[in-house]
Amino acid sequence: MAAKLFKGSEYLITEVSKNDVFTPEDFSDEQKQIGETTEQFVINEVVPHKEEIEHLNYELSAELMRKCGELGLLMIDAPEEYGGLELDKATSMLAAEKFSMAGSFSVTYMAHTGIGTLPLIYYGTKEQKGKYLGKLMTGEWVAAYCLTEPGSGSDALGASATATLSEDGKYYLLNGTKQFITNGGFANIYTIFAKVDKQHFTAFLVERTTEGLSVGVEEKKMGVKGSSTTQIILDNAKVPVENLLGEIGKGHKIAFNVLNVGRFKLGATATGAAKQAMTEAVKYANERKAFGVPIATFGAIQEKIADMNAAIFASESVVYRLAGMVDDRLATIPKDTPNYYEAYQEGIEEYSIEMAIAKVFCSEMLADVVDEVLQVYGGYGFTQEYPAEGFYRDERINRIWEGTNEINRLLIPGTILRRAMKGEIPLQKEAMKAFESLMSPSFEELDDSIPFAVEKALLANLKKAFLIIAGSGTQKFMDRIKDEQEILLAAADMAINIFAIESAVLRAEKMLPTCSEPRKKAAESAVKAFAFTANEKVATAARKAAYYIEEGDTLAMLLAGIRRFTKYDATGLLQAKRNLAAAAIEAEKYIF
Amino acid sequence: MKILVCIKQVPDMESRFKVNAAGDWYDQSDLAFRMNEYDEYAVEQAVQLKEQLGGEPEITVVSIGPERVGEPLRKALAMGCDRGVHIHDADSSRKDPWQIASLLAAFAREGSYDVIFTGMQSQDRGSAQVGMILAELLGLPSVTTIVGFSYEDGQVTVRRELEGGARSVVRVPLPALFTCQLGLNQPRYPTLPNIMKAKKKEILLVKEGDFALTEGRALTSRLFRPEKKGRGLVLEGDVAEQSQRLVEILKIKTAVFR
Repeated sequence: MAAKLFKGSEYLITEVSKNDVFTPEDFSDEQKQIGETTEQFVINEVVPHKEEIEHLNYELSAELMRKCGELGLLMIDAPEEYGGLELDKATSMLAAEKFSMAGSFSVTYMAHTGIGTLPLIYYGTKEQKGKYLGKLMTGEWVAAYCLTEPGSGSDALGASATATLSEDGKYYLLNGTKQFITNGGFANIYTIFAKVDKQHFTAFLVERTTEGLSVGVEEKKMGVKGSSTTQIILDNAKVPVENLLGEIGKGHKIAFNVLNVGRFKLGATATGAAKQAMTEAVKYANERKAFGVPIATFGAIQEKIADMNAAIFASESVVYRLAGMVDDRLATIPKDTPNYYEAYQEGIEEYSIEMAIAKVFCSEMLADVVDEVLQVYGGYGFTQEYPAEGFYRDERINRIWEGTNEINRLLIPGTILRRAMKGEIPLQKEAMKAFESLMSPSFEELDDSIPFAVEKALLANLKKAFLIIAGSGTQKFMDRIKDEQEILLAAADMAINIFAIESAVLRAEKMLPTCSEPRKKAAESAVKAFAFTANEKVATAARKAAYYIEEGDTLAMLLAGIRRFTKYDATGLLQAKRNLAAAAIEAEKYIF
Repeated sequence: MKILVCIKQVPDMESRFKVNAAGDWYDQSDLAFRMNEYDEYAVEQAVQLKEQLGGEPEITVVSIGPERVGEPLRKALAMGCDRGVHIHDADSSRKDPWQIASLLAAFAREGSYDVIFTGMQSQDRGSAQVGMILAELLGLPSVTTIVGFSYEDGQVTVRRELEGGARSVVRVPLPALFTCQLGLNQPRYPTLPNIMKAKKKEILLVKEGDFALTEGRALTSRLFRPEKKGRGLVLEGDVAEQSQRLVEILKIKTAVFR
């Protein structure tokens, strides 16, 4: 349990301590054991069938889902009342991370346990849960989620699927087409969004055998080829009225809340995938010789290995810090609260900003990692004989689904500003303070006795830089800022990287007292390597935003402020990277 | 029926090992640990026996070692053992097989177990002695390296693996001790519900110092990597010359002709 419960986005205006963050080093025996069971299951039962899975085999996938069911891997998020385990998010994320090694099958698993099952868990009635949840937990049935349409994606509420009550009042007749439905080809139950009377956005639980529902052909995809992706076509699909999920006109709540968790979990799977890809690359770098020596002995390769390791360290720190935040918040809700899941949703919603951060940061971390992994393999990376090209293709979708990274970026400052206007976070006040400090010279001395004193000072400054940019933007554009997307994207990049640097620093600081000397050195190196890169990203984003917002003297003042607040003394950077690379090359894997 | 399973926590064998500062064991820092593979067969066999007998037997699982030994104990409980016993010993890696077996015997004597399972050997020290010494100390018959196990009316029939792939079948009345070898069974994955249930099972913590101290009988004086062997030798000349040279080398350097 953290020392303090933080509000969503509060990290941007306050100092966070190491005791406030949950880290992978804090896992309980049970959490580790669940991670191990998941990992062993994937290695022994899924990986040997990878080739067959890649050719899309419904029966094999369905059988593996039943095996997941036997082990309890489908009951992590389900309530105890219905035979589920109702485990915390840290456990759920760890299982997701371990599952990523299953490649395409992890997509099947994630869609089923995430967007497939969560709408029912969060919004289902007793009868609906009683009828379907058992089957979904044993893997007897597979679930899918149908939001996107051929003409609407990010603008989900622009859906044109309709639901019309039948004359006898017993059925809704659903019409329309749903696009890119994961598990579409072999799912047994679909959560489908459609507009009642063409205007009230509403969710329905629709069984596969429903009259009027048909499944389209499989999409020919670039990656995750072993997962099923089809259209779902509704032609007067006859859905019993008791299968309406939640309330009429409240479908958007279901759609978006479920996506929040999905985004968060995507961060965990991306982290797992990156670890696996990096491990392969390091092994290869140790084997492959050039000029008579293993390529791992070259600085050019070592730098890649160090950067990958540092970025994954940050990514892992982000995911589990967020898990801890959400778990602490959800733990404050008594289980016997009437409308438990309503309070639960509010808890999730509280961290929608951090969930978007996890989605964007981890998916882009993975993109960078697979790109460098392929590069380490050289020409062989471009062939299908080695795993690099598969990692490369499979990665790409992560920056698109569960809300594109653009949509997620926009959501970050958008939500922050909305909350500030509502008075939930004192953004205005803090921005004023940041402007004041911009005007006054700094005489602060670093306290070297504190671990990561340089990085902590940097974080305090970066937060000021963010506040100055956010403050300037709102001052200039007022509430029209929400339409200035280029500025919002830049602000998002700042918020994302600040959260990531902070997560990495606090985790490393928490590790130090109990870890060995070599591990300590590695953690310090990872922090330095990551903080340097991420700080440069914040600085670039800040400068870009300054040019977008201001001109003349005010611009000059902003730029000077940015220069001051993004100053980071990374003395020893090269040695830090070499240390980190050496440790990873010796271990032949991601080392934390 | 009372069943005892003795397990050990060992490093993940894919780890990179370093010799410790004292030069007599491997450096244990930064290693990932797991349950000794052979002990997993032991746990699985105990759980299968319990299932065969309708859940009547009580299975105790015991392990000696530092704090982290709680992890494999929890795993054994999640696989189906009923209670755990952690004999806390921060320095267990310095004890020889005799001392380890003596500690286990001191604990097991009280329990009057009908069946004791251990792994055939540990993956790190690999002495393959602890099980047998434990049986001797308890005055029980022991059968080592079993690859098959069946129980009927108080009698156990096991298959043993012998040198050169031969097998033998041995019948033993209970109580008895068995050391388990690869091939005996396929250890189950602890399911998630069972992992959570295991949280509620008891792990009794006792200290190594609670038992009478036994002197060690064997000391690991040094641990080191074997020196790198010389490079290969390429024989030249015609076939007759080459074979003559080969025979000479074999005579001097090996026992082939003795």
